[in-house]
Amino acid sequence: MTAKEEIHIQDLLKRYWDCQTTLAEEQELRDFFSSDHLPTSWQHYAPLFSYIRDEQSVALSEDFDERLKVAMEQEKKGNQKYITIRIFTPLLRIAASLLLIVGMGISIFFITRQNNKPWFVETYDDPHAAIKDATYALQVLSHALQTTEEASLQTIRVIDDLNINWTALDSLMAEEITADSLAALTQEEDSLDDIGEFISDHKQHEEI
Amino acid sequence: MHTRVTFFPVNRHLIMNNEPFHQIILPMKDRLFRLAYGIVRDREEAEDILQDLLLKLWSRKEEWHDIGNLEGYCFRAIKNMALDRLSSMAVRKTDAIEREQEDLYFVDNNSPHHAMVIKEQQLLIERCIEELPENQQLTFRLREVEGMSYREIADTLDISEDLVKISLFRARKKMKELLAGYDS
Repeated sequence: MTAKEEIHIQDLLKRYWDCQTTLAEEQELRDFFSSDHLPTSWQHYAPLFSYIRDEQSVALSEDFDERLKVAMEQEKKGNQKYITIRIFTPLLRIAASLLLIVGMGISIFFITRQNNKPWFVETYDDPHAAIKDATYALQVLSHALQTTEEASLQTIRVIDDLNINWTALDSLMAEEITADSLAALTQEEDSLDDIGEFISDHKQHEEI
Repeated sequence: MHTRVTFFPVNRHLIMNNEPFHQIILPMKDRLFRLAYGIVRDREEAEDILQDLLLKLWSRKEEWHDIGNLEGYCFRAIKNMALDRLSSMAVRKTDAIEREQEDLYFVDNNSPHHAMVIKEQQLLIERCIEELPENQQLTFRLREVEGMSYREIADTLDISEDLVKISLFRARKKMKELLAGYDS
């Protein structure tokens, strides 16, 4: 090693500590300090540069690219599922709104059709036949009403025959009804049995 | 940028080419790996971190053009991921020491003693780097190991060029003191 070289290295090193060196000069220093025949006077700086060299030689393992590729394929598959959902999301929205519109249309159609339908439909062609049938129907109805009216009147007559003192009975209804008080109510002996029956029914009902 | 409305969002995906991934991101993989390795000091962990980062970038293609400095983004991301991983690696320390001690016995050199001494000193340097503040540590690694210019480091770490120089100066000064002290 010549004196000139030594001065050069000295200068480089000084500028290196002051951060004045270029990248090329720093490479030169690393080369110098990792040479086999390094003068002992420079020895103590060697570890730094050899450390840097070691760090530079650290590289990814050979199969890294292969593993990355596999991982990326898996990621892609996972993404594709997501993409198909994303494609169909707007379509699903459109389908949902269409369904809503169609549903509303159908319901409106049926409601309006129902409203147009008349309550009474003409089913007779001949007015005379219609009158005949209507008269018959009214006669049947009238007969039925007459029968029930007669039955009602008969029932009222039976009750009238009992000769019940209605005003006294009304005032008694709130109080306890006893057999003694009932005796005063009835003017005829034979009607007492009927009323007694009625009252006991009434009492039973109250108990329930 | 994110509020852009497209009827079929997937179209943008399909049109997007993968060029930035192959031209910018993939060529950086060794640098990124070394940076992660420098922090976690474990090859497998570092590779795992790098794969995580690359997959994350790959799955977010639509965000690439939103990132101004993709290269710087990658460095910062891997640095943060590595630091996160480091704090979750409780058993790391004991493993690392075992590995380093093992290395000491298998040094392929003509003078084993001399090599041992150098190895020991390298260990000291490693410890010293680890003790440096984060900015100094990263600056030192990017400059010395990756051979990046001040401008590139400033862009990558998102700090000023002056701060890069100051950080590097302090880191080198620390190294000088360490080596001088070891020598005496």
